[in-house]
Amino acid sequence: MDVEVDGILVAAHELKEPLATLRQLAFSFDEMSEPNELIREKMVSVSDRAIRQVNDLLKLRRLESSLPEMSPLAVRPVCDEVIRELEYLFRYNKRELFVKFPGKEQLAYANRELLFSVVYNFLLNAVHYTGDEMRAEIMVKPIKDKIRILVRDYGPALPMDVWREMQRGWVEKPTSIAMRPGSSGLGLFIASKFSKYMDAKVGAVRHRDGTSFYVDLMRSKQMSLF
Amino acid sequence: MIFVIDDNRMMAECIAKACGGEVKIFGDALMATQAIDDGLPEMIFMDAMLTGPDGFTMLNELISYSDTMKIPVVLITDARFDNLDLSEYGVVGVLSKDTVTPAEVRAYVEKYC
Repeated sequence: MDVEVDGILVAAHELKEPLATLRQLAFSFDEMSEPNELIREKMVSVSDRAIRQVNDLLKLRRLESSLPEMSPLAVRPVCDEVIRELEYLFRYNKRELFVKFPGKEQLAYANRELLFSVVYNFLLNAVHYTGDEMRAEIMVKPIKDKIRILVRDYGPALPMDVWREMQRGWVEKPTSIAMRPGSSGLGLFIASKFSKYMDAKVGAVRHRDGTSFYVDLMRSKQMSLF
Repeated sequence: MIFVIDDNRMMAECIAKACGGEVKIFGDALMATQAIDDGLPEMIFMDAMLTGPDGFTMLNELISYSDTMKIPVVLITDARFDNLDLSEYGVVGVLSKDTVTPAEVRAYVEKYC
């Protein structure tokens, strides 16, 4: 099967899950055990995630014909925005998110929209792979002429095939559903593609109790001019 | 007691509500297997594709002990098992995540609990 058809299948699988969840949540309106307001909150959260995923796929296609606009960008506000958006999902799934940012603001050379999606997909992956009552971590740290955004989860180790692809710099295609139960790796695929468009490098570190995913962005020299 | 095992917590909660009665939700097979040591569930609703050990690893574990092999299991999954007889794994039914209704879940509960 060619890569594009395989990609469509994986995307269809990923997008079917939120639709199936929404369908079940719609049935919950009949149950008196849960206030409608809570059900609506869940439905909005599931829809938001699905819409973002579709938008990422559309962006991916658009990037094939035009390069993204890059500019010096403060990394922390982007991370904060992603954290705010995923706060509900972390709380709902009983995961904690530990945040560690350096005192001094770091400027990276990046595209805001794409960087948001990279961090979003890393954190979404962490929600999925971190165990109940456990924590995930997001850190920003300067490394030489780069700025690293790292997301660490505490869950099952990363499959070797995905890790090898990350070591090569980026994921070539979404991992086949059959090979990796629980996730198609679409989020990681999107994150690695977007990073490549920003001339950034993604990578992963395998731990015995989870995985760290990171993106190394070019550091903007703008601040040093002052 | 009924076990619902699904790494999609929202989906698991919906299934649990449809079951009614006393239900425990687990996000992965490992936690569910550990909980079985504390007490056997009357039946299990389970997704086949789970984070970590998948549903079939769990089914193999269940059929390898004389007490757990009798637990009726219903798979609620995206995967297709057309024309596959899974009864030797203790599977009494397969429901599609795309079309499952609370009434279908309740029907299994009424039959096996």
